[in-house]
Amino acid sequence: MTNHGPMKKGLHTRHRRLWGWFAVAVAVGIFAAACALSDDISDNDLRIQQLNKTIMCPVCPGESIDQSQNQLSAQMRSIVSEQVHEGRSDEQIKAFFVERYTQSVLLEPPQKGFSLLVWLLPPAGMVAAIVLLILALRVMRRSANESPDDIQETVSLSDAERSRYFARLEAVLDYEEGDPTMPKDWNEEGSNPGLAKERSDD
Amino acid sequence: MRKGVILDSRRNGLMIDAGQIALVMSLLVAGYATVASLVGASLKVPQLTASGRFGLYTVPVLVSVSMIGVVYAFVTHEFSVRYVAENSSLSMPKVYTWVAIYAGNAGSMLYLAMVVSILSVLAVFHLRRRQPHAAAYAAGLMGLMLMFFLGVMVFLANPLERLPVIPADGQGINPLLVHFGMFIHPPLQMMGLVSVVIPFSIAMGALLAGRGGQDDWVDVARSWAMVSWLIMTVGLLLGAWWAYTILGWGGYWAWDPVENSALMPWLAMTAFVHSIMVQKRRGMFRMWNMVLIIVAVTLAQMGMFINRGGPVPSVHSFAQSTMGWLFLLFMAFTLLGSATAFVWRLDSLKSREKLDSLVSRESMFLLQNVLFLIVAFVTLWGTVFPIFSEAASDVTITVGRPFFDLVNGPILLALVFIMGVGPLLPWRRASVRTVVQALKYPASAAIVTGVVLVAAGLDKPPAIVAFATFALVITGIIHEWIRGTHSRHRRGDSYPVAFVRLISANRPRYGGYIVHLAIIMLAVGATASSFYSVQRDLVMRPGDSATLGDYSFKYLDVRSTSYRDREESVAEFEVHKGDSYLGIMRPFRAFYPDANIAGTRGAIRSTVIEDFYIVASEFDEDGRAVFRVLINPLVWWMWASGPLLILGVVVALIPQRQPAPATLRVPANVRTARA
Repeated sequence: MTNHGPMKKGLHTRHRRLWGWFAVAVAVGIFAAACALSDDISDNDLRIQQLNKTIMCPVCPGESIDQSQNQLSAQMRSIVSEQVHEGRSDEQIKAFFVERYTQSVLLEPPQKGFSLLVWLLPPAGMVAAIVLLILALRVMRRSANESPDDIQETVSLSDAERSRYFARLEAVLDYEEGDPTMPKDWNEEGSNPGLAKERSDD
Repeated sequence: MRKGVILDSRRNGLMIDAGQIALVMSLLVAGYATVASLVGASLKVPQLTASGRFGLYTVPVLVSVSMIGVVYAFVTHEFSVRYVAENSSLSMPKVYTWVAIYAGNAGSMLYLAMVVSILSVLAVFHLRRRQPHAAAYAAGLMGLMLMFFLGVMVFLANPLERLPVIPADGQGINPLLVHFGMFIHPPLQMMGLVSVVIPFSIAMGALLAGRGGQDDWVDVARSWAMVSWLIMTVGLLLGAWWAYTILGWGGYWAWDPVENSALMPWLAMTAFVHSIMVQKRRGMFRMWNMVLIIVAVTLAQMGMFINRGGPVPSVHSFAQSTMGWLFLLFMAFTLLGSATAFVWRLDSLKSREKLDSLVSRESMFLLQNVLFLIVAFVTLWGTVFPIFSEAASDVTITVGRPFFDLVNGPILLALVFIMGVGPLLPWRRASVRTVVQALKYPASAAIVTGVVLVAAGLDKPPAIVAFATFALVITGIIHEWIRGTHSRHRRGDSYPVAFVRLISANRPRYGGYIVHLAIIMLAVGATASSFYSVQRDLVMRPGDSATLGDYSFKYLDVRSTSYRDREESVAEFEVHKGDSYLGIMRPFRAFYPDANIAGTRGAIRSTVIEDFYIVASEFDEDGRAVFRVLINPLVWWMWASGPLLILGVVVALIPQRQPAPATLRVPANVRTARA
């Protein structure tokens, strides 16, 4: 790499990048088209489908009436449809089924009473786990600084320098694993400014 | 005539008796192998451990003899064997013998014993030279697992048990199992669940041998963990595919208890195959890895328990029996035993290195692990909560799909985000500049994606955020590939050669990237079809037409055929998309009056962009029929991810030549601690 390098490279890369972004946009566009269907489904039908997915088929545990192939589910689906067309609200329709088949007919546990617990535990556990994780990481890190053979005691590198050094080390190790064709001089790599050069500024 | 009959039954008798004897012998041999291995290992007597090892090697042979007995009994319709009488009939096609073998409790135990014994032999063979001491303990632990399955069969659920009275015909097989999808998915799923005991035994073996803190067993454990992970993943994917094409509701995953029970160990294993890399590379997370593999094996045993007539009802459970509680007991035993070993050997698990920074690849691995475990525990919590609620408040609560979608969805998305960011961060410590540099392109791609999607009229924020995240991950991976290929190309390789060399230079890393891409394909399909699937339930008579999206379809006719045990109906649809004619589609439905079970097969026209899906829900006497018609966007990508995923795992698994010690030119003015 000589001094002409950057200019020539710049032109090439700019073109390539433009093409790259263009490709990304086109790909995303195609995928978007797949999702952005002109859905001509009426609001009532959408509501019926949503409701069907929240009501369990009483004789085939775990399955919603939407997915169940059972005769009873088919009847329940038509009841849902009827009631939606009669103008009853989601809550009223769910209550209708709860009255007949008890609370267990709803696939979504209610957010009150004892079953509030099912909703509360996951977020609580999540917060606890993250707090524990951060504490654990801090402990792991603090003990590193107390460690006698810590690198910082013998090498005076700034944080940024260290990170570049280790990134470089990592790249070389990654590269070397099983690969005998390692370049002879890593400092010729243009993409990463040489550590040695920077150090010599000091 | 009569003589012939007697000869016949004698011949059968011989095969079955041989199977019986082999079963008992396999239990005895497994018992000997366990004791010899464990005692030999703890007293450090190599001759004894070798003897135990050879004992273990003979177990699969003996189990195979029993298996041959069972197969033989099925093929010859030997209804004097209880298991054969209960799981087959004269009219059952012979190929379904394979399905019938695992369809019942006793047979599935035999299948599990066979799988565990074969995998154990391979794993012990793999480990014996590298880690003789750990291999002996591992062999002992695998022997214990085998003893459980074999013991249950010998004492409680013998697949070759005879009936006092020989029935004329058997009870037949569950009609829903009579499907080609059943040849692979359930056996693979079961194999996946039990295969977790292999990496578990290796890790525990190393721990017991006091080598938990030496990282030389990690490669072997990692290989077997990935094998197990691959089996589970393919099992789950095939299950989803089977549900999509057969169960006839247009979906593929319902957070059903049995699905959950297969997902939970998968989540823990996914965490393990990642965090074991940190131990391999950095000598850290040693305790954590032990915890993870213990959690994984516990969840796998829990899965077997739930599968086997556990307390949670499910449509998928089969091989129902009270045997489930034995599995629970065995789970408790395993958990207690391994926890004790863990505490006993805790001192040997101190990290070699310390954590340098909160922003590093290590900490990303840990965060990812924790999130995976949270998803697993949320799933467990939702799955078992109905039991608690029934016990505590007498009100049966159902925890179904809406709960899991709402709670697990965001965590899974966060995991995808980490999958994009984590691999781009350096080990040890990342400065702000490194992070910005690494995320420049991926983050821009995410923003471009978000903008394009909003501009295209997508209106569901969670889906848009999800797609943007997927773009981030893909860009990160592709950018790494392009950069690596370029730098090799500059050194004289042609682009394809450069790419192949790049991949093969660090197979665990680049194999992992391939798997990550496959996961993104899966996630794209799952997200698109959960948020943007369009569905319509229609009542139609022959001759009626309807439309959905761009598709218009005409119900031509239905043809019904009666069979001895079922009524099959095939409807015919003429389908157009816009102006182009797509051909005839034939949704299929079979009804089994005896079992009161209906089986459907949707007619699916699958393209890269979307699936057009017709399923017959009902046929009435008077010619009316109910059809469900769906457009499921991008589902094709979910099934296409399977082969790519397998490829990625294989790449990551191919053994790498041990690298020569790295020679690194450190600039002269940098002193290191060891210099």
